[in-house]
Formats: sequence, structure tokens, C-alpha cells
Amino acid sequence: MLNGIGASDGIGVGRVMLIAEQSLDYTPREIADVDAELERFRSAVDKFCDNTMEQAEAIRQSTGEKEAEILLGHIAIIRDPFMGGEIENLIKAHQCAESAVDQICKMFIDMFSATGDDLTMQRAADVRDIRDGVISVLLGVQEVKISDAPEGTVLVVKELTPSMTAGINKENIVGIITETGSQTSHSAILARALEIPASLSVANATTQLSSEELVIVDGFKGNVLIAPDAKTIDEYTAKRDAYLREKRELENFRGKTTAGADGIEYELFCNIGTPKDATKAVEADGEGVGLFRTEFLFMDRDRLPTEDEQFDAYKQASLILKGKPLIIRTLDIGGDKEIPYLGLEKEENPFMGFRAIRYCLKNRDMFKSQIKAILRASAFGDIRIMFPLITAVEELRAGRALVEEAKADLKASGIAYDENIQVGVMTETAASGVIADLLAKEADFFSIGTNDLTGYTMAADRGNSDVGYLYSPLQPSVLRMIRRIIKCGREEGIPVGMCGEAAASPTMIPLLISFGLTEFSVSAPSVLKVRKNISKWTKAEADAVAEKVMAMTTEAEIKEYLESIV
Amino acid sequence: MVSKKVTLVNAQGFHMRPASVFATAMGKYSSNVTIKFNGNNYNAKSLLNIIAACIKCGSEIEIVCEGSDENEALADAVERIESGLGE
Repeated sequence: MLNGIGASDGIGVGRVMLIAEQSLDYTPREIADVDAELERFRSAVDKFCDNTMEQAEAIRQSTGEKEAEILLGHIAIIRDPFMGGEIENLIKAHQCAESAVDQICKMFIDMFSATGDDLTMQRAADVRDIRDGVISVLLGVQEVKISDAPEGTVLVVKELTPSMTAGINKENIVGIITETGSQTSHSAILARALEIPASLSVANATTQLSSEELVIVDGFKGNVLIAPDAKTIDEYTAKRDAYLREKRELENFRGKTTAGADGIEYELFCNIGTPKDATKAVEADGEGVGLFRTEFLFMDRDRLPTEDEQFDAYKQASLILKGKPLIIRTLDIGGDKEIPYLGLEKEENPFMGFRAIRYCLKNRDMFKSQIKAILRASAFGDIRIMFPLITAVEELRAGRALVEEAKADLKASGIAYDENIQVGVMTETAASGVIADLLAKEADFFSIGTNDLTGYTMAADRGNSDVGYLYSPLQPSVLRMIRRIIKCGREEGIPVGMCGEAAASPTMIPLLISFGLTEFSVSAPSVLKVRKNISKWTKAEADAVAEKVMAMTTEAEIKEYLESIV
Repeated sequence: MVSKKVTLVNAQGFHMRPASVFATAMGKYSSNVTIKFNGNNYNAKSLLNIIAACIKCGSEIEIVCEGSDENEALADAVERIESGLGE
């Protein structure tokens, strides 16, 4: 078995088509007739652009507008006056066109690769593709026709170029294996758009695999199985069919409002960890972000992020969401995380120690700069602030006071922000559940963090195999806690959401509907599944289930019953 | 010579499409148009130069125009950037 990066979901079973690299070797030579060589270069560029237009058109029809644009970008690059000018300068200095194109492209490839920025580094791949394309035209090399691939073909290439993608017939290509690329590279984006399972960055794939060999591409895990036996093929074929069936079913829920069988509507948000994830939330058809964890800004670095750095990140996420709600959770760290520059001491019991809102309220400057950054970003979208680990009303008050202070500072400096920004509580401690009635009077919203709520209520660490059995959101105590939090929120007229894993659990959904939850925040890949599960329930049916469940006395009983009905 | 500082507001920064549209638009002016960012100068008529500058959302850049139609070029450049580069 070969290992790579799973970059496009699905399973492909088929025979290898090895795309060998064409030799683009040339011998640099001195040019006597500069004008003729310039003409040769310009007509090669024209030809290259014609080919690219044709390929872009093919991609537009087979895949989509966005993917075609990648190729049209190649025309913009080769037509760039600066690039063209530099190439022509070299030709005027009597270099041959191949050599001139090669050198100038290399200059940009090096420049882009050196930035260390993901998006810019991808442009290096574009320039490489362009260089190969133009030099191929100059040398008169024919490109391989992938369009002729027979049914059930697994493409094996060093790098999947956009121009290659143009030739892909979705019906015939069942898998893609490359030696380079990452989750975010063109190869991955194109493979996902084409909905072809892909495993990228498989070391030496082009030498380890040979044409006509039977392989299985596992696009989930990135594995490639070589010459599998009949049993393995059956197993993977079944997996593939189940995946495709479910995917088709879920796609019916894309673009729909999230509503129960009785038409009652709910909000369905996503949990994200970086601004980039906001794109995933939008692509997954999330209606907003119910939990934006901000720890990424503070991890893997040697100093605190500045207010501006944080502002950039929050604003970026907000702009991607285009006005959809974005709930930003303030810093949630403690002695269990390695952030050397914060000087957090190792604690006996970090989960009950100096962390999250407790740490932030003691480090006011740091906390205020985060709040100011969030407020500044709130001028660009529907942003809300959420405090983690609240256990007493004073903490919420102190946090709100800091928000008001930050607002006054911004106002004094004439910086825009949302004056009515909502400030909510992540109810994730047993204490916050018990005093939910008091908190609800002073918070603008609740969001139940079921992962910690379960742990803190049961006093059980799910990672500890001796007590992990206690850790279940279906424990009668946890369900009572959840029901209470929602009830208290509703009595004060504030919305209550849930941003823990339980919000996506099919067995929890009827209970949450019955308790009166209005917003579900789940991981991006779960959005359509949750929308489908919510659509199965009317409030009345959910109430009947909840009534039964809340009369039961053990977790085992509850679990067995719920699993029997969903 | 005229110049103005502006902040990039489109989410993805100066990536392929906005850079391409912007460079093409600037190419129509006879003035030299330069982007100053992080202490470097980039030719605003060159898509590749703009991309190499790696300018992200929220960054402040300075546009410098010099030539016979410098005022028009600057006004156009600023307006395009402030309106989010058509995104």
C-alpha cells in the first residue's frame, strides 16, 4: 500500500494510466535573427493562448466556471506586459525563445515559492504549467490526450496540471494519484470539483505503479492499494456505493432552509478554527458560524498576536461569510496548552484551573486587545462575542464591562464598530447550567458547549479509559442540564444554540428540538446530514420522544431507546 | 507625482483574479503606477509583480502614480481597491 494525502473524498477502483513526463529539453543557442525569434516567441504565445482558451472552455462545460478561471489566469500571466517584456529583452540579447521563457518563468517560480504563502505558492505551479506549455509549443511537442482514457481509469501523474484536467472525462476517470500537491493545491481543488477521488503527494507513485495495474484509490485516507484481492475489492466497492448513495441523498438538502417536518425553522451554523475554515463553512452550506475558536492566533508562535493581526483574521472570516452571523469565542486556553510566551504554569488540574475567561480577566491588556479587534471587525459583518467557561455572573459582568471600555476607546479614536454587538455565554460548566436563570438575564445569547458540559457535569475525562464510560451527553444529568439551560434562555427571550458535537448527533436532535434549541452549530462536513436529520422531526413528535427519555433513569436505557427510533 | 494610502478590503487579498483585473485596468494609463508595500515597490501594471507582493486583506498599501494622467490613474486605483476589487 502507498500512502498520500486524501484530497478528494470517495473510493476509486480501476486500472492505472501512467502519464509519463514529456521531455522538454532544449539546447540553448545564440540567435542571429532577433526579429524572427521574437516572431517565433509571439506566435508560440498566441498558440498557447488558443490552446488554453479551448481547454478552459472544455473545463467550463465539464466542471464549472471557477475551475475554468484557473486556466484563463494562465493567459493573463503570459500576457503580462512585465513578463513578456522581460522575455523579449532576453531574446533581443540573442537568446533563443525556449531559454528566455525558461529563465523568466524560473525567476517568478522562485519568487513565488519564496513567499511561504500558500496562495502565492500555488501561482508558482501556474507559472510552471505555463512554462511547460509554451516550451512545448516552441518544441512542437504533442500533449498527452487524457480524453482518450478508457472507462475505469486511475490517472497517475507527477502533478495534475489544470491543462491536463481539461481532458478529463468524469465518466471514465475513477481516481487520481499524484506525487505532489496538498489539500489546497490546484490538483486537489480540481479533483474535488470533478468529484473524483484523489490521493496526492504519494511518493514515487509514477515509478511504483505501472500502467494497467489494478489499484484502489481511497480519497478519504489518501491510501493507494495495489493489486487488491477480490475480497478487498468487494469491500471497497461496497464502501464506494454507500458513500455515493448517501452523498446523492444529502445533496438534496443543499440550499434548503433548515426546518423540521412541521416547517419550524432552525439555524444551522458551523464550528471553525481559522478564517480559511469560513470558506469551508460557506461551501458546506452553513448558514453562519456558531463557534469561531480563536486559539489558532495564539498557538505556534513566540509572542502575542497584535490587535491588528487579530482584526485581520476576524474581518477576513466575516467578509467570507458575507453578512452571515459569526460568533467569535474569546481565547480559551489554560495550562494544558503549550504556549510558552504566555508563561502559564503547569497546574495540578488545568481543567479546573487558571484558564479561558479566568485567565483573560486577569490579563486585561491582552483580553482588551482581542475584544477591540473583534469590535473593529464587527463593522464588516454580523459578529457576536462569546465568553467561554463562565461559572459566575461576575465574570460575565466583568467581560461586558471590558467590552464597553473597548467600545469607548474605539469611539474616542473614531474607529467604526457595531454599537449593538451581542455578547453571549458559552454554557459549558455545571455552574453555568445551574445559574442559567441568572446568566440569561444578563447575556444576549447562550451557546451550549456540550463537550465540556458533559465532562464538567459528570466529572469524567473522556480520554481516561477507566471513567470514559461516564462521559455521555445522554446521561440523565447532562440532559437535565441542557434542558435547563435552554428553558432559562427561552424564559428570558434569548436564543440558545449548541456548538458541541452533540448538536450533530442524530439521537440528540429530537431532544434538542423538544427542549427548544434554535441554533445548531456543527462541523462543516456534518451540515447537510444535520439538516436532513432535523427535517425528519415535528415538534410534537420530538416532544413525545423527549417526554419518554426524561422519564428514564439510566444512560443505557436512554441510548437504547433513542437508537431504536432514529 | 501623486500618491495615496489605501487598505485592502477584499477577503482573499490581491490574489489571481483581482490582481489581473487591477493590472489590466492600470495598463490603460500612460503614467507609471507603483504599489509600495512593506518597503518594496511593485509595478501595478504587472499581474505577476502584484502577486509576488503577497498583499493580504487588511494590509495598507501606497499607490504612487507618475505621468500625464496620474490623477485619473490614482483615482481609479483607489476606487477599485476601496470597493473590494470587484469581489
